[in-house]
Amino acid sequence: MSLAKKAQMPSLEEGHKFKMSDILVYAGLILWALISVFPVYWMITFSLKNNAEIFGENVVGLPKYWLWSNYTQALNTGHMYVYFLNSIIVAAATIAITLVASFMATYALTRLVWKGRKTMNKFFMLGLTIPIHASIVPIYVTLSKLHMLSTYWAVIIPYSAFSLSMGILICTGFMGDIPYDLDEAAFLDGCGVWGIFFRVIVPLMTPAIATVGIYTFLQCWNELMFANVFISDDRIKTLPVGVQALSGQYTTDWGPIGAALALATIPTLLVYVFLSKRIQDSFIAGAVKG
Amino acid sequence: MKRTIGYKLSIFAFLLPALILFIGVLIAPIIMSAYYSFFNWKVGYPLTDFIGVKNYVELFTSKSIGFMKALGNSLLLALLSVFIQLPLALLLALKLGKKIPGERAFLSVYFMPVLISTVVIGQLWLKIYNPEYGLLNVALRSLGLESWTRIWLGTKETALGACFVPILWQYVGYHMLLMYAGVKGVPPELNEAAMLDGCTESQVNRYIIIPYIKPILRVSVIFAVTGSLKSFDLIYVLTNGGPFHATEVPSTLMISMLFLRNRYGMGSTIAVMLIILCFAFALLISLAFKEEK
Amino acid sequence: MKKFVALLLAAIMLLSMTSVFADEKTTLTMWCIATESDANRPAYEKAIAEFEAAHPDIEIKWEAFENQSYKTKIKSAMSDPDSLPDIFFTWAGAFLGDFADMGTAYCLDEAYKPFADQLPEVMLQNASYGGKHYGVPLTMNIVTLFANMDLLAKAGWDHVPQTYEDLTACCDALVAAGITPFGCAGKETWCVTEYLEPIIEKTIGYEALNDVFAGKATWNNEGIATAVATFQEMINKGYFDPNGMALGNDEVKANFIAGKYAFYQNGSWNCGEVNDAEGNFQVALFPVMNAEKATYGQVIGGPSDTLAVSSHSKNVELAAQAAFELGRGICHYGYLAGSGLPAWTPDYDTSAVKALVSDVAKIVAESEGMVLFGDTAMSADPANTYLDYVSQVYGCAIDGAGFIEGLAGDLQ
Repeated sequence: MSLAKKAQMPSLEEGHKFKMSDILVYAGLILWALISVFPVYWMITFSLKNNAEIFGENVVGLPKYWLWSNYTQALNTGHMYVYFLNSIIVAAATIAITLVASFMATYALTRLVWKGRKTMNKFFMLGLTIPIHASIVPIYVTLSKLHMLSTYWAVIIPYSAFSLSMGILICTGFMGDIPYDLDEAAFLDGCGVWGIFFRVIVPLMTPAIATVGIYTFLQCWNELMFANVFISDDRIKTLPVGVQALSGQYTTDWGPIGAALALATIPTLLVYVFLSKRIQDSFIAGAVKG
Repeated sequence: MKRTIGYKLSIFAFLLPALILFIGVLIAPIIMSAYYSFFNWKVGYPLTDFIGVKNYVELFTSKSIGFMKALGNSLLLALLSVFIQLPLALLLALKLGKKIPGERAFLSVYFMPVLISTVVIGQLWLKIYNPEYGLLNVALRSLGLESWTRIWLGTKETALGACFVPILWQYVGYHMLLMYAGVKGVPPELNEAAMLDGCTESQVNRYIIIPYIKPILRVSVIFAVTGSLKSFDLIYVLTNGGPFHATEVPSTLMISMLFLRNRYGMGSTIAVMLIILCFAFALLISLAFKEEK
Repeated sequence: MKKFVALLLAAIMLLSMTSVFADEKTTLTMWCIATESDANRPAYEKAIAEFEAAHPDIEIKWEAFENQSYKTKIKSAMSDPDSLPDIFFTWAGAFLGDFADMGTAYCLDEAYKPFADQLPEVMLQNASYGGKHYGVPLTMNIVTLFANMDLLAKAGWDHVPQTYEDLTACCDALVAAGITPFGCAGKETWCVTEYLEPIIEKTIGYEALNDVFAGKATWNNEGIATAVATFQEMINKGYFDPNGMALGNDEVKANFIAGKYAFYQNGSWNCGEVNDAEGNFQVALFPVMNAEKATYGQVIGGPSDTLAVSSHSKNVELAAQAAFELGRGICHYGYLAGSGLPAWTPDYDTSAVKALVSDVAKIVAESEGMVLFGDTAMSADPANTYLDYVSQVYGCAIDGAGFIEGLAGDLQ
């Protein structure tokens, strides 16, 4: 409807004007698009080149020989696949914990009636402003006392806690969309609070799983500081720490580093290609309601 | 639904996992950090040397720690974010919000850098800035601008700027996305009415759209400022605070206090200052936006 | 999705619960920094295999950690000594000193006795506190001046300059021939100390420098300011690759090996690598600056890599004996591989030792005084303050006076 209106609106003269400025606008938009993409393009091309090409013969062009061996080197000697698997394990566990905890908490905060739930909600929202770094010393000391440094839990637990506030925030939005009549109907059918939660709320919260999951995934997939400090064992390192360590080892051989960087990036980009709307929505959902 | 003891217990049970995580990993550690910050505590030694606020005094006065400089750097980053990154994001969002062809493609491309791990971006820009083979210097040389080449991350004058560019670059797309969502939320009737009244595009932007998306701008400003105060990853990868502390920010300072100098007490002091600053700025910005209303 | 998550969680549980079932063997645990990418890794593997073959009833369970994170890990284990392994790698000087101070390191005086004829007592001095020995030295290293003789030849030099006048003349000739004399990694400040410390030592003498590092003398020493000025003069004359400021050590080393710099001054642990590289390389020491106070044979370095034994070990005497035997083995294979010089007197065939390594060994044998690396001699906090000042010197952000006054103010 609005499209049709728009087509009718501009007069001929205005249409001409629009075209001139349109070109400028497009030029600007395309320029920024190039600036956004170029480093990634460069990374992927140099991940397939040898040093001679990267360093002078062919700096920005497509590779001449397509050195896939850079990738096998990064995977085998650089242990990229171990880091990869670790990141997946950490992300999956973090997402699972965040989902369970934030579903349950949101249910108590929005569907159950009790005194002080508004205050409790505000309390949880404090987590949005608290910098993750602030708790590093006490967590480090505690983990070290429990002999949990360099285990998956050393990062899974903090990541879950730090994703929790956003999880609750996003879930609050989704849970608010579920009609209260459903609760009452289920209650009349003899369901208790747990029954309503499991039979009515959880099945209807599947869109929230994706949104919270994506947000949490990106948080823990990319996090460096905690992983760097809490994990020193090569077998447990996550991708960011692994990539950082690998770049330290191959400082002078750029091809394998490029391959490692690309390996850490491509899966996210692939997922993004298929789920771009979803991913963007999860970021918007988090911020706009905050 | 009745308010029985069972009901109350259920409420508690539903909150329990979140409370354990939240209090155990966020709230309790902050209290512990605040407590540690009153001690001269070195790794491996018992926590016995209570020194009151001496850590705070040293933090703000010691030239060799250079906290004020680090704080200044992150505030400068915050300023640049608010006055360069956000306007650029707003400009892109306003243009994309006008239903132009290819809008989704542009949106997706602009947002892409946000998804890439900061370590990857850092390593990538490290290569771009490499003094000998880096893209930047190679490009300058091939353009005949040999004299413009610099050791970007190695000289005091350029390092800070060189660190800021990727940080600003990466998150333009994020703010753009938020603002774009806001622009899309403006009721089309408002736009059309203004257009019919003969408003130009920039007038519509200025008097209709921007006031309408103010809550989102507030969120963006808060994120940009607190994000700048917290910035760590990219600077850690690019320079780790060097050369000569030119690019030090509070987080890198904290990490070096903790894990290079083994001063847990002082590290905790910086952590506490970070929390205070983040909350203070979030509050200030919220107030500033309210005032304007 | 749910099943997948459940499976994953189960897998994590299993992974984190795998435990080693004890058999009749006595197990000794050990932590070190010989990760798979470390040059010393093969030496550890061989030494441990040799030890286990000689003692079939003992099993060594060892783990290697990345250098920087290891420092934190081992330090925090100090406050919880039960988490320490029986034997742990440490650096001599102030680092091990903290352990000795807290009583978490076991005194090795008794265990040392049977090994006294193979391990000269002087090698233990960096790991001795209050007259007691707390560490078993492995290899030792000194700061070495590596020279690319092919590049020197291009500037008309057929030997490594032995005096400062010659060195200046040589560098000027190199610069004139378009060759960068030195490479130094500004991104890693310890690399800068590899240049600055020898210059200071050769200006004020090793005894004076030792006192300064040990906190017995003030930093406020005119000689140190002069040394800093000399170093900065070399920088300002273009003797150093300006790009070095933004590079890490590996990059600088690779540049040197690739023939980009005529000299590279760094630890002798690089000998093996430089020896195996293509080209004609020699090793030497930095020349004397002030002949009244210093001699050519004074070096920076010493035994720093050390094994220590936890006083909380359940088999503390056995662990102490094992530490000595392992230390001897690691030293043996590390020396043969060229990753360090022997702290132990070799009792094996050394004809296979690489040429550059044995050259440096000769320099050490003839050394006329030693000063341990400054950042090893000092404990973490002052060491990092010191490194801060050193990096400012390299960037010419402060001059000699600023260096000595600043350090004197901040450290004493």
